[in-house]
Amino acid sequence: MKANLTSIISALTRQRGVRGSLLVDETDGVIIDATLHVGMKGPAFAALAASLYRKARLSADAAGLGGVTFLRLRATEGHVCAAGKNEMVLVIIADARANIGLIRMEMLKALERVAI
Amino acid sequence: MISVAEPWVEAPLKRFVDDSRVTFALLIFPSGQVLGQSGFSRAVDVMSAAALAAGIYATVRELGRTLDGKGFRDVFHAGAKRRLYLAEAATPRGTCLLLTVFDEQSSLGLVQLYFDELRTALAQSKVQVPDPAPMLDQNFEVELNRNLAMLFGRAPGRRSITPTS
Repeated sequence: MKANLTSIISALTRQRGVRGSLLVDETDGVIIDATLHVGMKGPAFAALAASLYRKARLSADAAGLGGVTFLRLRATEGHVCAAGKNEMVLVIIADARANIGLIRMEMLKALERVAI
Repeated sequence: MISVAEPWVEAPLKRFVDDSRVTFALLIFPSGQVLGQSGFSRAVDVMSAAALAAGIYATVRELGRTLDGKGFRDVFHAGAKRRLYLAEAATPRGTCLLLTVFDEQSSLGLVQLYFDELRTALAQSKVQVPDPAPMLDQNFEVELNRNLAMLFGRAPGRRSITPTS
C-alpha cells in the first residue's frame, strides 16, 4: 500500500514545475506520504495546508456550495494546489511556470487512486 | 484566559495558545508543579490535570526506555471530539511538560508546529535560575498550592492576560 502511495505521489512530483507533493491527513494535519525537494519544511507545510483546505471546505459548505473539488492558492512565486477525499488531502507545491490545468487533472486522477 | 506562576512563560505560552487555537494548555514541571495554564477555570482541574500529566509522562518515559532504549518525547491521544497532546521542552529551569487539549479548530500537525516554536522560545528565555532546592515530598504540596493560588488569583503575584482574539 505504502509503495503504491509513494509511486502515485512521486509521479505527481515529476510534473514540470512541481516542487513537492504530499498526501496529508485532513483531521490531524500530518503527512501520510510525501515527495519533497530538499530543504522544504514538510510537516509545517502539511499542517498549514490541511488547515487551509479544511477551512475552505467548511466555508464552501457554509455558503451552500457543496464540497471543495479543487483549491488553488496563487502566490508571487508559485502555487499551492489541494484536492481532498475521504479525510485525505493531496497537496502540490508548484512553481509559477507550472501548468496548473495539467496538474489539476493529474491530481484528481491520483486522488481517485489513493482514496479507494 | 492565560495565567502563569512564573512570568517568563507568559509570552511564549500566550503566543502558542493564540496560534494553535487549543482549548486547554498546561505547562508544568515533570514533578507536577504548575508554571502556567490556559483554559482551565478551576484550581482543582489544574491540580488533577497536572498530576495526571506528570503520571502519564513518567509512564511513557519508562515505557519508551523499556521498548526503545530512550524515553518517548511526546504522546498523542485522539478522543471522540477532543485530542490530547503531551510533550516535553527543555528550558533554563529544566525539562517542562506541555499538556494541551484541542478540538476540530486545530489539528495535531498545527499543535506540533506551534509547539516547536514554543519549545524554542522557552529554551531561549532569559530566566534567572533559582537555588536548585529539591522538590521534596514535604514541600511539594505547599509549592503546588502556592502556584495554584497564584494562577487563580488567591495570592499576590498573580499574572493573567486575556487573549487578543
